[in-house]
Amino acid sequence: MKMPKNSAFAARGRVEAVTGTASDTILSLGRFLRKGEASTDLRSVFLEGGRDADAFYRDRWTHDKEVRSTHGVNCTGSCSWKVYVKDGVITWETQQTDYPSVGPDSPEYEPRGCPRGAAFSWYTYSPTRVRYPYVRGVLLTAYREAKARTGDPVLAWAEVTGNPETARAYKSARGKGGLVRASWDEAAEIVAAAQVHTIKKYGPDRIAGFSPIPAMSIVSHGVGNRYITMLGGTMLSFYDWYADLPVASPQVFGDQTDVPESADWWNSSYLIMWGSNVPVTRTPDAHFMVEARYRGQKVITVSPDYADNSKFADEWLSPHPGTDGALAIAMGHVILKEFLVDRRTPAFTDYLKRFSDSAYLISLVKREDAWVPGKFLTAEALPDTPATMASSHFKPVLLNQDGVAIVPNGSLGHRFSETDAGKWNLDLEGVDPLLSIADSPHYDGATVAIDMPRFDVAPTTEDDEHAGGTGVIRRGVPVTEIAGQLVTTVFDLLLAQYGVGREGLPGEWPTGYDDASSPGTPAWQEEITSVPMQAAERIGREFAQNAEESGGRSMILMGAGTNHWFHSDTIYRAFLALTTMTGCQGKNGGGWAHYVGQEKVRPITGQAQYAFALDWVRPPRAMIGTAFWYLATDQWRYDGLSADTLASPLATGTFAGRTTADCLVESAKRGWMPSFPTFNRNSLDLVDDAAAAGMDPAQYVVESLKDGSLAYACEDPDAPENFPRVLVVWRANIIGSSGKGNEYFLKHLLGTDSAVRAPESPPDKRPNTMTWREEAPEGKLDLMVTSDFRMTSTTVFSDVILPPATWYEKNDLSTTDMHPFIHSFNPAITPPWEAKTDFDAFHLLAKKVSEFSAVHLGVRRDLVATPLMHDTPDAMATPHGVVLDDQEMVPGVTMPRLTVVERDYPAFADQLGALGPLTAKLGMTIKGVTYTPDKEIDYLGIKNGLVESGPAAGRPKLTRDIHACEMVLAFSGTTNGRLGTQGFRQLEKRTGTAMAHLASDNEGRRFTYQDVQGAPVPVLTSPEWSGSEHGGRRYSAFTINIEHLKPWHTLTGRQHFYLDHDWMIELGEQLPIFRPPLDMHRLFDDSIVGSTAPTGAPRSAGKAEVAVRYLTPHSKWSIHSEYQDNLMMLSLSRGGPTIWMSPQDADKIDVRDNEWIESYNRNGVVVARAIVSHRMPEGTVYMYHANDRTINVPIAETSAMRGGTNNSLTRILLKPSHLIGGYAQLSFAFNYLGPTGNQRDEVTVIRRRSQDVEY
Amino acid sequence: MSALTFLLWVAYPYAAAGVFIAGHVLRYRYDQFGWTSRSSQTYENRLLRWASPMFHYGILMVAGGHLVGLFVPKQWLAFFGVTEQIYHLGATGLGSFAAALTVAGLGILLYRRRFVDRVRMATTPMDVVMYVLLTGAIGFGTIATVAYQVVGGGYDYRESISPWIRSLVFFQPDPSLMAGVPLFFQLHILTATTLFLLWPFTRLVHVFSAPVGYLVRPYIVYRSRDAHRGTGARQPRRGWAGSQLPTRSSDRRP
Repeated sequence: MKMPKNSAFAARGRVEAVTGTASDTILSLGRFLRKGEASTDLRSVFLEGGRDADAFYRDRWTHDKEVRSTHGVNCTGSCSWKVYVKDGVITWETQQTDYPSVGPDSPEYEPRGCPRGAAFSWYTYSPTRVRYPYVRGVLLTAYREAKARTGDPVLAWAEVTGNPETARAYKSARGKGGLVRASWDEAAEIVAAAQVHTIKKYGPDRIAGFSPIPAMSIVSHGVGNRYITMLGGTMLSFYDWYADLPVASPQVFGDQTDVPESADWWNSSYLIMWGSNVPVTRTPDAHFMVEARYRGQKVITVSPDYADNSKFADEWLSPHPGTDGALAIAMGHVILKEFLVDRRTPAFTDYLKRFSDSAYLISLVKREDAWVPGKFLTAEALPDTPATMASSHFKPVLLNQDGVAIVPNGSLGHRFSETDAGKWNLDLEGVDPLLSIADSPHYDGATVAIDMPRFDVAPTTEDDEHAGGTGVIRRGVPVTEIAGQLVTTVFDLLLAQYGVGREGLPGEWPTGYDDASSPGTPAWQEEITSVPMQAAERIGREFAQNAEESGGRSMILMGAGTNHWFHSDTIYRAFLALTTMTGCQGKNGGGWAHYVGQEKVRPITGQAQYAFALDWVRPPRAMIGTAFWYLATDQWRYDGLSADTLASPLATGTFAGRTTADCLVESAKRGWMPSFPTFNRNSLDLVDDAAAAGMDPAQYVVESLKDGSLAYACEDPDAPENFPRVLVVWRANIIGSSGKGNEYFLKHLLGTDSAVRAPESPPDKRPNTMTWREEAPEGKLDLMVTSDFRMTSTTVFSDVILPPATWYEKNDLSTTDMHPFIHSFNPAITPPWEAKTDFDAFHLLAKKVSEFSAVHLGVRRDLVATPLMHDTPDAMATPHGVVLDDQEMVPGVTMPRLTVVERDYPAFADQLGALGPLTAKLGMTIKGVTYTPDKEIDYLGIKNGLVESGPAAGRPKLTRDIHACEMVLAFSGTTNGRLGTQGFRQLEKRTGTAMAHLASDNEGRRFTYQDVQGAPVPVLTSPEWSGSEHGGRRYSAFTINIEHLKPWHTLTGRQHFYLDHDWMIELGEQLPIFRPPLDMHRLFDDSIVGSTAPTGAPRSAGKAEVAVRYLTPHSKWSIHSEYQDNLMMLSLSRGGPTIWMSPQDADKIDVRDNEWIESYNRNGVVVARAIVSHRMPEGTVYMYHANDRTINVPIAETSAMRGGTNNSLTRILLKPSHLIGGYAQLSFAFNYLGPTGNQRDEVTVIRRRSQDVEY
Repeated sequence: MSALTFLLWVAYPYAAAGVFIAGHVLRYRYDQFGWTSRSSQTYENRLLRWASPMFHYGILMVAGGHLVGLFVPKQWLAFFGVTEQIYHLGATGLGSFAAALTVAGLGILLYRRRFVDRVRMATTPMDVVMYVLLTGAIGFGTIATVAYQVVGGGYDYRESISPWIRSLVFFQPDPSLMAGVPLFFQLHILTATTLFLLWPFTRLVHVFSAPVGYLVRPYIVYRSRDAHRGTGARQPRRGWAGSQLPTRSSDRRP
């Protein structure tokens, strides 16, 4: 404790300078005035005691216990946290630091967390916490009266909902308070009675469940999902509904989404962050990007605003919103020209030949005086193909170096047939494919001109006004004739599409990079995006050059900024083309890295068994969320979007005279996409009626559809028998966060006050395959029940609110694709007040349902209509993607598959809590691989115990949340090495390539819940996913495909540049192409961006207005709606609804920072405060999405009602290409493919409003 | 002696002094974390950097003047040759200067308190009471000084007020001394007494925490543990008695 006299500190000149002799004199004088002994240099004094104040700090940071948990649902961070408890109260949390090391030469994962997670414990005891079950008073009174009269809960519910006056009264009271406490028993009774009544009267598929993102609390999601599914209810998808699903991924990869973990960013040497604001939305992972810069990584950001991540970037590109596709096409143009035409980069050509469809042959079709690209040439067209060849229509063809047609292994046609076992692989068996027809030594110089669409032009004529501006460009390709058909390669078409010319080809070609007149060039993109052509050219070149020199370590980290547009699939395909043509996909440090609402349930097999109750009943009902809401909220009545306006100028007229809603109906009837509620009759009664008629139920349905006595519900969604009746929401905030078209939800689904401003479609714009009822229904839902620990916009509109445990009060599992660990939730305290875990709540509801079912339902048979499924032979239902009309109705081929299942409703509660027999009987199939968990079932019986009595006696127990955790862990290859190895061995039989070694060294490892309670555990390599963690490497998608020649789940088995389904051709989207944001003015007569013309909106007279693009990105201070109401985050941010706008736009309407503004368009109105920032580009505003109505939402001038949410200005728009099904990778799987709930194309008008706001 | 005279000039001063002392002891005992000057420097600095020193140096001078005037008997000063005239000139001259400094400083502080939003929002009701009393005491004192000492012929409070104060100190209260004292002096004394009464419950407690000791204290302070204390809030108990650590030579002080 001594400060030596000659210490370096004391000797420093600076110290001497501030201490002169005068101060020394005073200090030495102090010796006589105070206690303690001073050091000789008079800098320190030594005292004894006087540390009583320490006790305060020691007590402040003492705690009784520390519990591991994490934060669930919508945060993809999946960070493990230490939760501290003191005197039985949760006090605070800190980041866990015990993540396993990622190995040498890389930064570590620990610690990870962000301010949002660190603020979570505030919620436990916050004013917004739901502490008791609530029921709206109007409803509760009516129910109690009815029950007193009838003496039966189910009959009481029938009476309450059957009486139009009572129903109207409680439905119109939604969102207007009046909630009263109820007991759990009574609340559960109402919910169960409503469900039993709905099943009995309308059919089980009129019950819908919504809960997203299973990965971040697998059991809490799973128990409700299992509950809804076993009832026969419909689970709604969320990935596509959130518009987080990049439809390009199924299109190109045949995979939902598979991306690198964040530690793999470190391995990249060229990183483009494209529409993904990593420090804000991936806060705990951002450090890998920051650190990689010190390793020499070059970082580019692409964002219209000066986003937070731009400060980390070496270069910031700022395209106009939604034009990113053009920039990517121009970069592709440079790469194709410099690396694949002027010079054939060996690494790139080799990659394209082996791992993409580039070399495959496309037959050309004569159209007037030119040709258009058509379908993949497949084996059946070749003369020497034996007639007995299995699935020859699904075996595309390429040419070898001699120009001879070859049918390579690995296509969809090789995937399922017995005769092709061992041939589903990417082994070219010595064949060197011909990338371009012109490469053939026998090439005779034949070329043809092909016509290609373009969508980047302004409309030219009056008639063209609603077509949004299209044109045709004619460019040539080298061709040859195979089996009497004129063909070229995908690569040749790609060069034509990108405008990369070669000697001797006819058509219009750019004269150089600076030729803005011809699509594809850097100069052309500059006119569209405003990004300087030199920058596009340079970055395109650098991206490829880095990929060549580093062996594919160029990465594009992409996000919602580019993925939430109507045409995002085209934007993403242009991105993916860049990573594929440079050989980056499937390489560590390279490829695409899509991070938007990803939800990688690493133990997917066990999760699917549990959540979809596949152990009891197959198949489950799983619905595309967007379509469900589109019909249920009657947005189809206002939409009127003509499918024809989206079509290519070269289209043949498939979409003529049809709306996108008609496309939805067609998709449902063809069995492409699921459609629930399915029929206009009760699916239970259908089976009984078939039995009465002495017919097979499927046959009965077909006959009834033919004679018109049965119809699809989606053809008449406004008929009362087709309404969804009960909606169960948990772990979700549909009204406050994801409900695009908020006001339509309020009006039609809920039947309460709304600010819908749009008129319904005029007769000429209405769907022609749907029944139009003059009176639009309001309040379709009989019951909305929500379980949420926060009061949200959804709970305030719900009829019944249940109080669940928070994430610090239950057992569960969490995984993410950002890191490779699986870890646990644990209860730091038991749920306080009357809160129950989701697990316990659903089991309580199930007991009630069983009780009422004994009287009202009994054992019933249910007819389930499911779509043609991906990763099954269903994907071969549509040869060549040719859509034929007037086909015979064949269930499972030309219409949905019809399956009859048995539902034992009185045994429902017992089945919910036990492992059913089908897992042992049928195994577990995920992504085409079937696992047999025989030993695991026995193990689970020992680990969890067996059910003692009742209908499920003798079966392994699932009566506690930990039981379900154990099941998920035991039944997945990622957490059980035996199953992973087993799965690879199964797969090896199909592929004929060795893969089992990726898992077999962990064959004896099986994680238990106790293991993941101890510390985060790195998952094992499994065929459930496309990448490998084997040997401790960082996970990157598709490395197994590249390194072990396992095909992608596509038509060719390779990554697709080209898509040949009829509808893709009609839309002109066979190849990556630039499509601008929808022109809302031309399509819907909305304001033109930048216009200051008066709109005539209510109370807008005399006030300046400006029309702007309206974007709703992810916030810095919340995870969707979570945390935006948290006191700490409110303190860090401005809090409440805000809209960011540029100073230029603010000037136009004379608004200053922090003033109240009103924003409105055809869909509704929102009131917010303006944040005027030079960070924003002119013409675009941001409203960070998901501000709940519970925080600072005043009454709007426009509607004279409480101002809405960010989704009051959005609505659902369907893109027909997302509705394709039954064809190769374009086949349905849950959350894999479906129409996106995109919302970025909207335009809104803003004005300054009265600064006197009322609430 | 009327009851009122007794109440005002005997009971009330003693009550105030009692509350003053007991209040400080209690507050120090039970509210150490609330013992603060409630500095508003983070909310506003430009006015404060002038007003605060003006007021504080001014009020210290005023306090010094009061000490001399009230507690040093007239005769003592006379013994040292300080005549009434010299005293009067000194007290009035220096007093006026100090008063001017104090009043100007207080004026700016009040302006700032009232019209700077962020400072106003950090003001508690108790602050308002304190400011009213402080302003009242200083205001009445200033008026009395100006009215009787500067403009008027001079009032010799050392014949009345000072002995009265001293009579209180010696517990031989003589309220009659206050009978003829001019009104503004009386008002000054009463508001000041009330201020002292409320003193322990206001931010004024910081007077006793003025960091004068810093002048003579080395700036690094090492405090070793008390030998008899544990590390937490509680006294160590039997069963949890700590082990005796030997003192290492390296721990010894120079």
